[in-house]
Amino acid sequence: MKKHSEQFEKNISRLVKITGQSQIPSENFTSGLIDEALKEIQTGQPGRQKRSLVMKNTKRFITVAACLLIAAGIFNLLTPSLSKIKKSPAVQQTVARNGNQSVAVDARLEPKKPTPRRPAQESVLSYYSYQAASPGSVQTIGGLGLACEGTPKMAHGGTTPPNGEPVDAMFFRNYGVNPFVDTEDDPLSTFAIDVDSGSYTMCRSYLQQGNLPPRDAVRVEEFVNYFDYGYPAPQNDTFAVFVEAMPWQFGAERKNAHLMRIGLKALEIPDEARKPAILTFVIDVSGSMAREGRLGLVKQSLELLVSKLRPQDKIGIAVYGSQGKEVLPHTGLNDKPRILRAIRSLESEGSTNAEEGIRIGYDMAEEAFVTGYINRVILCSDGVANVGATGPDQIMRIIKDKADKGITLSALGFGMGNYNDVLMEQLGNKGNGYYAYIDTLEQAGRLFGNLTGALQVVARDVKVQVDFNPDVVRSYRLIGYENRDVADVDFRNDVVDGGEIGAGHSTTALYELKLRPDAAGDIATTYVRYKDADTFAVTEFSTAFETSQITGDFESVSDSFALASVVTEFAEILRESYWAKGASPADTLDRARRLSRFAEKDPDVTELIDLIDKAAGLISRQEIQQETLKPADLEYQTR
Amino acid sequence: MKTSESSLEIRTGSADIWRQVLARAIPQLYGLFIRRGVHAALAEELTQKTVFDAVRRRDTYDAGKGTPEQWLFAIANNNLALEMRNRQTHARPDTDLLKYLEVIDSQPLPDEMLQRKETARLVQTALLQLDSKEQQVLKSKYLQDQSALQIGRAMKMSEKAVHSLLYRARVALRNKLTQLAPQFREEQQI
Repeated sequence: MKKHSEQFEKNISRLVKITGQSQIPSENFTSGLIDEALKEIQTGQPGRQKRSLVMKNTKRFITVAACLLIAAGIFNLLTPSLSKIKKSPAVQQTVARNGNQSVAVDARLEPKKPTPRRPAQESVLSYYSYQAASPGSVQTIGGLGLACEGTPKMAHGGTTPPNGEPVDAMFFRNYGVNPFVDTEDDPLSTFAIDVDSGSYTMCRSYLQQGNLPPRDAVRVEEFVNYFDYGYPAPQNDTFAVFVEAMPWQFGAERKNAHLMRIGLKALEIPDEARKPAILTFVIDVSGSMAREGRLGLVKQSLELLVSKLRPQDKIGIAVYGSQGKEVLPHTGLNDKPRILRAIRSLESEGSTNAEEGIRIGYDMAEEAFVTGYINRVILCSDGVANVGATGPDQIMRIIKDKADKGITLSALGFGMGNYNDVLMEQLGNKGNGYYAYIDTLEQAGRLFGNLTGALQVVARDVKVQVDFNPDVVRSYRLIGYENRDVADVDFRNDVVDGGEIGAGHSTTALYELKLRPDAAGDIATTYVRYKDADTFAVTEFSTAFETSQITGDFESVSDSFALASVVTEFAEILRESYWAKGASPADTLDRARRLSRFAEKDPDVTELIDLIDKAAGLISRQEIQQETLKPADLEYQTR
Repeated sequence: MKTSESSLEIRTGSADIWRQVLARAIPQLYGLFIRRGVHAALAEELTQKTVFDAVRRRDTYDAGKGTPEQWLFAIANNNLALEMRNRQTHARPDTDLLKYLEVIDSQPLPDEMLQRKETARLVQTALLQLDSKEQQVLKSKYLQDQSALQIGRAMKMSEKAVHSLLYRARVALRNKLTQLAPQFREEQQI
């Protein structure tokens, strides 16, 4: 009988595992496997292994089978037989409704709770050899130096997120949805560029966990900018610009609409030509970082970053829990073991004195500052700050001041539940860096894959102004970038902040256009203005786009534009945009599947298709009606 | 690190070096298997096998021939080739999950069936229709490889209660799969 239930458990385990989307194993699997391997090296005893894939030794197989049979016999004698339970009257399932959930009750199990298996020693190496529960065994978490703070707590107490939300205490801000603008009233559209992608990875996490993301979590520009569109890099200039347009059928009432894409690609710098980097990690080690192994993922991500740095680079580490402190003075990469030891020694504790930690980090960065180098603070946090100045304003002032002096900041967000997306995004913006959300080590690898681009800025305060021709364009709307708006008059005001862009990075913006019937000629002139990263010299250039350049349809546009249009539709649907009224997730999914020629080369596209599929299923289940809008969606941004 | 030193450290089982190497290599090995079309459970098994093969053969590592990661990848490729060869020598099993649900207690599910996207979709759909706690415990256990202790802390219950919940969740999943499988089979036939 023991063998019987063991096979069942193995089968269930394998079935559940095939639903996992990640291309990396769980942290527990990795750390457990490392521990078992090291144990075998140290003791010389064979470690636990899931199963032998090649049965070379028949005698061993027979021995194992015999042991199982004997154990099954003993189990049968000591506990109620499972076959007796199976032969009991047919299972009666009662279904109760609890809000949107149906709770199935297996009546067979009610009268006699099965005796839980209590193997001798628990290992995270899953069920096969498995799971011996030794009370108090903390294994890998303890081994990695993480202090478990006890049960991860909901931010609002209890065990269930309030208000039916799938995840507790997630902070987002609704920046509204850009309206259509009459070109005769206002032909100019001006915004600061954005290379952040945190919103996409955050929403991906929600969908992978089987939930739709909150609409306030969706920033269209960050969805669009997550993907690599393969823009060719400029050869001699800082930027290359790509403009494309096609007829667009999105939503129930679209007539004569076009989608226009403006892509910017920054100059590429070979890795060997990257400037040396003075990096200061400021790491949140507060109690909230103990949830879901956030601090563990931070440490793995930073180790990954360290592995890609060069001997000329330096790293310093500051942390903050109840207090901030320096953990490692700036140390060259020729002493990598010391750096790695410092990272691995981090443990979570206390509340979140973010202000003190950030101050200490910047003090360290100033002391280690080298002109001409990349001087960057990298903040790793879940954004929940509850001590010190308490509000974000004071922290923002510090960060802005230091950015103006040449010490930039990138914000890396970790965690699902009790996470402040608003603060993290603003920190990245104010710090003249970027904001990225890291949910898996693979995502960290993706971020640091282009390390030169992640660290070395090639253009600062980049702004875009699009001047639409009212004779051809009746109205337009910028899709996304609601919190990146710049007043038209400030486009050439070089004191006003724009966005920063790293080497080889690209940024894309999309407009929906309503053209005048039968109009032909200039559609728009796009102006780009930026400061050189080193000299701060200002450069401005422009490029025009005409009706003759409009492509016929979705099938004939470039692969990258087709992809950008699908991503835009997806984001608009998820954020319940007014302009997605009547749009069908199934249509977007269909267009996404027609990207398959692209998908074969790009795993990000394969993943996108899967996410759209998931979202479509969740939406149809919730029966979202796009015909009737909620009042909040009618808050248009005013100019 | 000099070539001779790194060979020595690997062969003598230096814990620091092995920890560093495995921390980098395990996600990469797993990703390699997944990208080669292997399903997640088998990818974990192959990753484990590769790691233990390397540990047991560590006295054969020669840094002059490549980095520890390259060595591990060579072992991984061999294990993958062996697995594929094994499959080819066996008869192709039926991949209809409905048939296997009847004997799910006693027979292993074939890899060919687990490999199919339809199977993953079916299981995903079934999981989503379970009670939220049952979903959570199954995902924590099998997707995140959490121990009963970790799950208990997250869900605020005792280890014993976690084991109970796990038992019920597995049964509920099986029942849900049995309920949904005929419908999925019909959709595929259309």
